[in-house]
Amino acid sequence: MRAKAEIPKGGFNFDNYRRNVFLEKQGLGLPKAIKTGTTIIGIHFKDGIILGADTRSTNDTIVANKNCKKIHYLAPNMYCAGAGTAADTEQSNALISSQLELHRLATGRQSRVITAVAMLKQMLFRYQGHVSAALIIGGYDISGPSLYNVHPHGSSDKLPFVAMGSGSLAAMAILESRWTKDLERDDAIELAKDAIEAGIFNDLGSGSNVDINIIEKDKVEILKNYAKPNERAVKEQSYKYKRGATAYLKEYVREFIVTEGDAMDIS
Amino acid sequence: MAVEYQGGVVIGADSRTTLGAYVANRVTDKLTPLHDKIYCCRSGSAADTQFIAELVRYYLQIVQHNEPPSVQTAAALFHELCYQNKDHLLAGIICAGWDKHNGGTIYTIPLGGSIHRQPFTIGGSGSSFIYGYCDANYRKNMTQEETVEFVKNAVTLAMSRDGSSGGCVRIAIINEDGVKKHFFPGNQLPVFYEGEDTVS
Amino acid sequence: MSILEYNGAAIVAMMGKNCVAIAADKRLGVQLMTVSTNFQKIFPATEKCYIGLAGLATDVQTLTERFRLKINMYKLREEREIEPRTLSHLVSTTLYEKRFSPYFVEPVIAGLDKNNQPFICGMDLIGCRDVPRDFVVSGTASESLLGMCESLWEPDLEPEDLFETISQTVLNAVDRDCLSGWGAVVHVITPERVITRNLKARMD
Repeated sequence: MRAKAEIPKGGFNFDNYRRNVFLEKQGLGLPKAIKTGTTIIGIHFKDGIILGADTRSTNDTIVANKNCKKIHYLAPNMYCAGAGTAADTEQSNALISSQLELHRLATGRQSRVITAVAMLKQMLFRYQGHVSAALIIGGYDISGPSLYNVHPHGSSDKLPFVAMGSGSLAAMAILESRWTKDLERDDAIELAKDAIEAGIFNDLGSGSNVDINIIEKDKVEILKNYAKPNERAVKEQSYKYKRGATAYLKEYVREFIVTEGDAMDIS
Repeated sequence: MAVEYQGGVVIGADSRTTLGAYVANRVTDKLTPLHDKIYCCRSGSAADTQFIAELVRYYLQIVQHNEPPSVQTAAALFHELCYQNKDHLLAGIICAGWDKHNGGTIYTIPLGGSIHRQPFTIGGSGSSFIYGYCDANYRKNMTQEETVEFVKNAVTLAMSRDGSSGGCVRIAIINEDGVKKHFFPGNQLPVFYEGEDTVS
Repeated sequence: MSILEYNGAAIVAMMGKNCVAIAADKRLGVQLMTVSTNFQKIFPATEKCYIGLAGLATDVQTLTERFRLKINMYKLREEREIEPRTLSHLVSTTLYEKRFSPYFVEPVIAGLDKNNQPFICGMDLIGCRDVPRDFVVSGTASESLLGMCESLWEPDLEPEDLFETISQTVLNAVDRDCLSGWGAVVHVITPERVITRNLKARMD
């Protein structure tokens, strides 16, 4: 085992593997990780790309988060919507995003969408589908707007409109019937919203709100919760407990020394 | 599929990618460029074939010679990759192109990673439906136009019988002058027997 | 039975007005047999930030030590305390490193950052962060905790009200879970002080 204080070099660690196999053999089931259970889409319009996503994440049948973010930052001109195991989509994006940042600093050039796609698909192919991230990558670079999707096993497609995740069938139905070449910006946003809502309402894995990202030349607009078709009704009364309702056995209070004025910011 | 003709080769493919029974992409381009006059047709796992095609393309681009690489070189690279990693791959490749030594050339590298040079070849899930058609209709030394028709008909027939093939037909003609690509949408394909309308 | 249910736990963190609270039960069991009623599941990371670890007890203790090391190393390297948000990323990457042989814990982080802004964060066992604006739950009683939170929690609770809300959430949730309960501890973190209270609870 490596010295504890050493900074890890990166890559996966399998130290617990034998133990976990043993535990599994004892009849203890392995827990499930959080999935996104998602509807995500990407479409080309007249002068850019629109990415759309729902905001539900699920842990088996429980809704783990009602308003999570599924459209991740890759580069200033590039965003990525992710479906599949939530941790995998998040960490894959973070990894590629940091490599792109370093690449930009080294070359002094804007990142290209195809670079990000190539890096992602090569990484996912290496893990043979075990890193289950299904991604839609949209961006605007030197070659104009471009839109790709990448499957967990590492294959990719370049398409004018795409949908992925468990709600992709419902969303694709909308896109197939309404998408046309050179859509106007407002029409495209509306189409993206309707496609995501189709996923939200027809797929049990998808739900809550609609997030939209619009990527154009030198311009990105992020519309978090662009549509909220499932707002919770206002509670009819407060269920707040009165102070002193809870009995406790012991109390420890740890007072802080609060200094007045601004201390020097060292972070 | 790929067919040799007098001055080069004609390659063709459908455009369907499936995830189980879901059509993940209906306008896929399975004709993948590797070099100026060398292409490959991919079948099997999309991830595996995209990855090895990308590798071969990379090799062919970085290796500097006095002349462009031969089709045989490209096919040999596919053969090496597919054979050495046959336990991990699901890839059926047709490698075709034109070089000045052999003219139009076609190699097929099926599942196990073997390599075969053939005057014409078909591959992928839909190919089993059109062996008869191809054997009956292939002739040596066809003209370019005849060959394109032959490929278009064969792929169309495979698409109509095979559930995992469909969409459009993409064709590329590769000869000394370079590559010419053609695209035929589903509604511009020849119509063959489609069953009878019956009144119930 | 899942490995996460082997020892049993109930942990919850809530956002208040300029304060946060984190609470956990105290039981350590081996399946249905209770072994200890004073098992620590919430650990201080910094003065104003606490980590709760629900799941397999052996991993809870292993990770506690690993995080203690990492937090101390951070402090030595950076010459400052780690921020709750940074800590959540540290925990997340530590868990994701073991993506294919995970630790069986679902952490909860609660704290105030350097501007005393409240921060809470939950995670699954491979480090998928969840940063909500209301509450997070974890452990075998997570379903009933979620139900209690959805009905009791409301925005902008003062520290004392937040204490009542989180305490009642935990106490009522563990009553419907055989694998957690047997006492509970609550930490309410405010810019001025941390109030820690051991709750009087049913011992069955």
